[in-house]
Amino acid sequence: MSATSTPTGTRATRALGFATLALTVWLIAFGLFVSAEDVVQGSTVRIMYVHVPSIWVAYVAFVLTAVVSAVYLSGKNRSLAWDRVAGASAEIGVLFVAISLITGSLWGRLTWGTYWVWDARLTSTAFLFITYIGYLAVRGLGGTFRQRARRSAVLALLAVLEIPLVHFSVVIWRSLHQESTVANSGTDVELDGLMLFTLFLGIVTFTMLFVWMVLHRQRGLALQDAVDAHGLDVAIEQRRQEAEVR
Amino acid sequence: MDLSPRSTGDSTSGQGATPVRRRWLPMVIVAIAIVAGGVVVTRFLTSAIDYYCNVDEIGVRSGCDEGRRIRVQGVVVEGSLAKENGATTFDLSFHDKTVQVRYEGDPGGVFQECIPVVAHGRLQDDLFASDRIEVKHSNEYVEKNDTRMKESDEEAAACSVQQG
Repeated sequence: MSATSTPTGTRATRALGFATLALTVWLIAFGLFVSAEDVVQGSTVRIMYVHVPSIWVAYVAFVLTAVVSAVYLSGKNRSLAWDRVAGASAEIGVLFVAISLITGSLWGRLTWGTYWVWDARLTSTAFLFITYIGYLAVRGLGGTFRQRARRSAVLALLAVLEIPLVHFSVVIWRSLHQESTVANSGTDVELDGLMLFTLFLGIVTFTMLFVWMVLHRQRGLALQDAVDAHGLDVAIEQRRQEAEVR
Repeated sequence: MDLSPRSTGDSTSGQGATPVRRRWLPMVIVAIAIVAGGVVVTRFLTSAIDYYCNVDEIGVRSGCDEGRRIRVQGVVVEGSLAKENGATTFDLSFHDKTVQVRYEGDPGGVFQECIPVVAHGRLQDDLFASDRIEVKHSNEYVEKNDTRMKESDEEAAACSVQQG
């Protein structure tokens, strides 16, 4: 079996990829040129069209990791496919939390006047990032595939509990970070016309990008597992042949 | 490739098998993540030592005492902003209570009148001496439209946004 000769794409993923690419072009056009500046922030507001969709995708990714981990733990047929989806989703989630932290830091410098404060939202997001780096490291500790799947599934179910803490941190504690503008129950959306449209465009685009990345990555992980298993099988076969020669 | 003797059992099945060798890099990363998590939480708790007070809570709420280092939140009063000898002075208001703030330097960010800020420092002799200013942006976003609004109108709009 050769991992390099086995593609991870299908006709469906290619169609999804092209659709995501088209939406990305739209997002760039609306984010940089069509939508207006903010009356206070000026062009800095455009960072929001990457920052908010990034943390949204990270939330989705970590919730998906927890859901498929729960499915793996609870199922009678514990397919390792669930574990690989969990791993792929977590990897992509970590990437998007990093993007969210970086873009948020740049926005903070331009708006707050500082790159970083030990504020509840920023601190809890940084903690979430560190937690899932730890999760990915735990996945790589070794052992059998089933040992990896079991221990990482338990960790995923614990780690996902941080998401409500991150999201509601601006409500629980007094925070420099503003409260949610859109996902804010009880109040109207406080984003002017095209800003709101561009933000939703960003969320849809990033979500589609996430789905595309997960589909490819989980297939890549399946191939990697196959390579690892094949390598072990070859080693055992060689050992048996040595024994037969003696 | 590790060819050391091992038990057979289900190890050839592929689905459940993988090299059982321990990997050191992930262990190091797990250890670093645990330490980093501890550092992050410690920094958060340390920063929380400075009480976070609204202007109207100074001298009223426990922990928001005069002379103690605190963080004060309020809105920069319109017409109060002045800069002299490299220092920035302004009035900070919240719920009809006002305190005068002096900051050595330029606060940066989108600091301006009518915007909510958090000032770090101490209140002494009715003057809040601040060594750090953070501009607090609201969750409202208003489009700037040059064809409909002149600059003065935009400033007024910004003020109305911040003051609700």
